[in-house]
Amino acid sequence: MSDFVIETKKLTKIYGEQTAVSSVDIHVKPGRIYGLLGRNGAGKTTIMKMILGLTPITSGEVDVFGQNIKGHEKRIYPRIGAIIETPGFYPNLTGTENLEIFAKLRGTPRPNAVKNALEVVGLPYRDKKLFSKYSLGMKQRLGIANAILHDPELLILDEPTNGLDPIGIAEVRNFIKDLSVDRGKTILISSHILSEIALLADDIGIIDHGVLLEESSMEDLEKKNRKYIQLQVSDVPKASLILERQFHVTDYAVQDEHSLRLYDTALDMAAINKALVVQDVAVISSQICNDTLEDYFKQITGGEGIA
Amino acid sequence: MLKLIQVEFLKLRRRKFIWLMLLAALFMPLAAVFYFASVKGTGVEPIEFYKWTAFSYTPWIILPVVLGMLCTMLMYNENQYDMLKQLWIVPVNKMAYFFSKFAVVLVYSVCFMLITAAASILTGVLPGYIAFDSGSVLYLLRKCMEISLLTAFAVLPILAAAAAQKGYILPVCLTLVYTFLGFILLMVNMYLHPLSSMTAIVMRDIPGVVITQPLNIPGAFLCIGVWGVASVLLAGAALKKRK
Repeated sequence: MSDFVIETKKLTKIYGEQTAVSSVDIHVKPGRIYGLLGRNGAGKTTIMKMILGLTPITSGEVDVFGQNIKGHEKRIYPRIGAIIETPGFYPNLTGTENLEIFAKLRGTPRPNAVKNALEVVGLPYRDKKLFSKYSLGMKQRLGIANAILHDPELLILDEPTNGLDPIGIAEVRNFIKDLSVDRGKTILISSHILSEIALLADDIGIIDHGVLLEESSMEDLEKKNRKYIQLQVSDVPKASLILERQFHVTDYAVQDEHSLRLYDTALDMAAINKALVVQDVAVISSQICNDTLEDYFKQITGGEGIA
Repeated sequence: MLKLIQVEFLKLRRRKFIWLMLLAALFMPLAAVFYFASVKGTGVEPIEFYKWTAFSYTPWIILPVVLGMLCTMLMYNENQYDMLKQLWIVPVNKMAYFFSKFAVVLVYSVCFMLITAAASILTGVLPGYIAFDSGSVLYLLRKCMEISLLTAFAVLPILAAAAAQKGYILPVCLTLVYTFLGFILLMVNMYLHPLSSMTAIVMRDIPGVVITQPLNIPGAFLCIGVWGVASVLLAGAALKKRK
């Protein structure tokens, strides 16, 4: 039995001559929220579609609940709830009627499944408003309601906060978190909004141009993005010597010929500044800094940041 | 499968145009009122009247066009609103999905012809063109059932074409071409086109109808069957590709 709810091995998708996804290995652990972070067009939706068997895989493998989804659809799909891209529903029906159709198709046994799902996303039950009159945010909420309707173990949510207002985003974020924390659901969520992923995910996969650049837990990522003291001085070699000999500092990094990073933020900076100045090393600046996830994203994608 | 068929009917709620199309079932019976009033008068043989109202342009042109439109609408809606991927991950079996659409077409066709039958009786008996006769009424109902069932099978190619297309223009054009081709081929070879074959089967025992070609009922069923199987295979292949 696999340790992962979703595991991809060298997952690749090529459209014509364009490689949309290249050798992606992602590992989604049970009961955790995995955030797939990348810019628009990075390949997030394609990965999700391949996981769900909605688009053919060019090469590689996908295991969901330890099984290849192909040939096991009847067993695996009922355990998954998903939104891929903007969810579509029948415009001539109300939200409740739309969900009743999906409940009927899934054979959802719980009597109040539709009502409960609508309550969770804050949409009225038995409202007369047709889906065609819904705002984008309401459509997105209905899509989420449909994904959780049958109480699935795994949720695959492709940009679920698209089109929601800030309050709606916060609400959806909270209930996604609750689904994971309180009800032990495993969630794979994609977003191009870094702050969303940072606030939600337990594990993160950073994807750029179809390549998974990094996969790690948020804890590890936070450790990597730890606080440091940025010290700008006139003479870095001399400053390094003073730090090592006089203050026994070893956890530091030389950035360039005028700057150093000291990773122990508990150091007595007043004493260090004084010692440097006394020994003819001019201190241009010293400040406590913190690398953000965005800095890290920029660093590993080698490009611009993300929203 | 039954669940899927029920769901197909639930999806038709508030789709007024689909229900309005049933009014086309009244076209020939109402036309007959004017025709018989001005040309034939009263005291007509019931079968003669029903030939006009239910056994001529209704199965040749009106019902196939209406069913073709219905096929297009049934398939187009889900394509237009990008619903198929949501259905596939339920999961809904693609062939079961196709057959559930066909079931709607079949039921609709039966309803259409029952309305035609009812309208034929009313427009014939009430103005006094024909006398009410249970034998002829039963004959009309039997023929209407035959027409409805066979026409539903005969429009399977349109349903398959609609399943293979994301848009509606091609299936609508195909409906018109397919229907008129069937009508034209009636006079050339009745066993090439499912709609002509349907006509051959239906017309086999209608008094007063002269079929100029040798009657070959198994050949007519074979034609409808071959086209039907080919359509199902095409739909299966198209839906397999459809995400």
